[in-house]
Amino acid sequence: MSRRKKVEDAITAINQGPKVLKLYMEMCARCGTCASQCPVYYAKPEKDINPVIRSDLIRAIYKKLSTTSGKLMGELVGARDFSEDDFEKWAEDFYECTGCRRCATYCPFGIDNSVITRKGRAILHELGLTPAVMQRVVDISLETGNTDGASPKAFMAAIEFLEEEMKEEHGIDIKIPVDVEGATYFYVPPSGDVLVNPEATTGIAKVFHVLGMADQWTMSSKCFDGANYGLFTGDDASMKADNKLYVDEAKRLGAKVMLMGECGHAYRIMKMMMEPAKWWGDLPFEITNCLQWTAIHIKAGRLQFDKTMNPMPVTYHDPCNFGRSCGIVDEPRIILEASCLDFREMYPNRGDNWCCGGGGGLSAMDTILDFRMEITGKKKMEQIRATGAKYVAAACSNCKRQLIQLMEYHNEDIVVGGVHDMLSRAILINGKAAQRIDYESGVAVESESG
Amino acid sequence: MSTFAFIVGGILPGIAVVIFIVGMVYRLSVWLKIPQPGRMTLFPASEGTTKAVVAEALFFPSLFRGDRVLWTFAWVFHATLALVALGHIRVITGFVDRVLMAMGMSAEGIATMSGTVGGIAGVILFATGTLLLIRRLTMQRVREISGLPDFFALLLLIAIIFTGDMMRFGAHFELEQTRIWARSLVTFSPQIPQHGMFLTHALLALLLIMYIPFSKILHFGGIFFTQSLIKRR
Ligand code: SF4
Ligand code: SF4
Repeated sequence: MSRRKKVEDAITAINQGPKVLKLYMEMCARCGTCASQCPVYYAKPEKDINPVIRSDLIRAIYKKLSTTSGKLMGELVGARDFSEDDFEKWAEDFYECTGCRRCATYCPFGIDNSVITRKGRAILHELGLTPAVMQRVVDISLETGNTDGASPKAFMAAIEFLEEEMKEEHGIDIKIPVDVEGATYFYVPPSGDVLVNPEATTGIAKVFHVLGMADQWTMSSKCFDGANYGLFTGDDASMKADNKLYVDEAKRLGAKVMLMGECGHAYRIMKMMMEPAKWWGDLPFEITNCLQWTAIHIKAGRLQFDKTMNPMPVTYHDPCNFGRSCGIVDEPRIILEASCLDFREMYPNRGDNWCCGGGGGLSAMDTILDFRMEITGKKKMEQIRATGAKYVAAACSNCKRQLIQLMEYHNEDIVVGGVHDMLSRAILINGKAAQRIDYESGVAVESESG
Repeated sequence: MSTFAFIVGGILPGIAVVIFIVGMVYRLSVWLKIPQPGRMTLFPASEGTTKAVVAEALFFPSLFRGDRVLWTFAWVFHATLALVALGHIRVITGFVDRVLMAMGMSAEGIATMSGTVGGIAGVILFATGTLLLIRRLTMQRVREISGLPDFFALLLLIAIIFTGDMMRFGAHFELEQTRIWARSLVTFSPQIPQHGMFLTHALLALLLIMYIPFSKILHFGGIFFTQSLIKRR
């Protein structure tokens, strides 16, 4: 099929849905509110960055192909034809939106420009123009089941290491069960929370241990990464294929609950897309996430903490996918307030929070590092600085990667990590918190109250 | 009767109403039909989706949080427009008068109120419409996304408002004529007021009515769809 035909087909297909996209093609009032609330436009108020201009890349062709006025009056009504040369520019433009959906929160009509961005990326995918870094993540994930391309063996080694670590911290065996059929809970973290910043996973293991439920959960040596970059490249087929691996694994294990880890977009795909749209029919398990799960047990008074293990000022960055898109905002705060001495909000927060600047998969793109550090992450840097926090918790591997780079790039002495990381350091097991070697200084951290 | 008056006052109203209704029904039926797999909810989302959507349509709370200045212009503009639309129903049907009289108002009272409220509303509309236009022309983030259709829609509205105001403040026009005209249209024996300003006002307004289903102004119907998709709990 010719390139032209592919693009035309993809854009006329909007007439068949999804409903949001069709509506967005027809009813933007062009009031400019979205631009004033977009993290990218905030740092770079230029025409190409204006959400409406980006969305018009698709809208103009839609008008040309699918509306009478567009066919008759062309540019006068904002309809435009396209040329084959446009797409190189598209590949830049559509990867300059972080898909954070902040524009939709403030648009008087709730027009979500990220939906149009994803459509643009889907067309780029059709044309084989997805940025190579992004395509590689999708490919690796489909090949190995995780975005890091780690083998089951490497995974097992990492788990063993974590178990040893916990033994050192607490002097007892705390298990991380793997491939246990019949376990109630199937924990699906982002692979980063096993391989890169594993404290979130030790935190989960400790919660199960304290609750006396250590034999009721499991991880999978094949499926340990909820991250799914098909969402970001607009490639539905890959997104579903990747998703199916996890749903099938949950079925194979016979789990009753799929417990999603600290990864916003992974949870969103499961909870807001796969489940309600019934990609795989009715599910024999329910879907929740570790933040909600842990928060319930904290509220019920089943977990105790030594907050002095986390004496530094801690703030929480609401990942767009967990906060704005899934409404998981109170739970991480319950965990952080229980386990940290000095928890501070950053403003605005929750559903109004600004994107870290790495959303929509951008955080994996070191090809645009400067852009992410100077532009998309600018507002976030200002917000974090204003809190005075020394530790930023983010329940999302993508956010964490972006924020860690942001702190390095701007020479800020601020640590970035997960939410359960804080819990892992402060939770009491047999009355005692972890005896831990501080990562930065190499000195054992002593509890002040202990 | 001039041909112009006959076209504007006799033929166009029917055409405009048909185009408007067919156009909007078509839009709505398509919007209703198209599937939406997956959920697009934006949080915080309240329990009452309908309530939240109606609130958005009436008070623009999202815009209020997003751009306070625009909210002021836009809300005053739209609210006044709604009021003026009610006033026009009164002018052409007499239905509103009967309701007001039932509530105990005298005919003179109604006429005075209509004169005062209508007059003020006309001025407010012209002022806020002009402010919206100035905003579109001067503010970078709005100017760079403004095209011909955006200016056309706004200028058309301002022209309608201006000619309407002129009938009240300039070229005086007897309101009773519009009722006779409206009634005559329903019985297909048009009695058209021979009044230049009236005919211009009517022509522009009818153009607008026909234009709505094909323009961004259909956001007044679309808002219920887009907002319920993101407010759905
Ligand atoms: S805020 Fe909404 S209506 Fe206004 S320009 Fe942006 S997308 Fe269009
Ligand atoms: S989704 Fe976020 S980055 Fe993209 S246009 Fe909207 S506000 Fe800007």
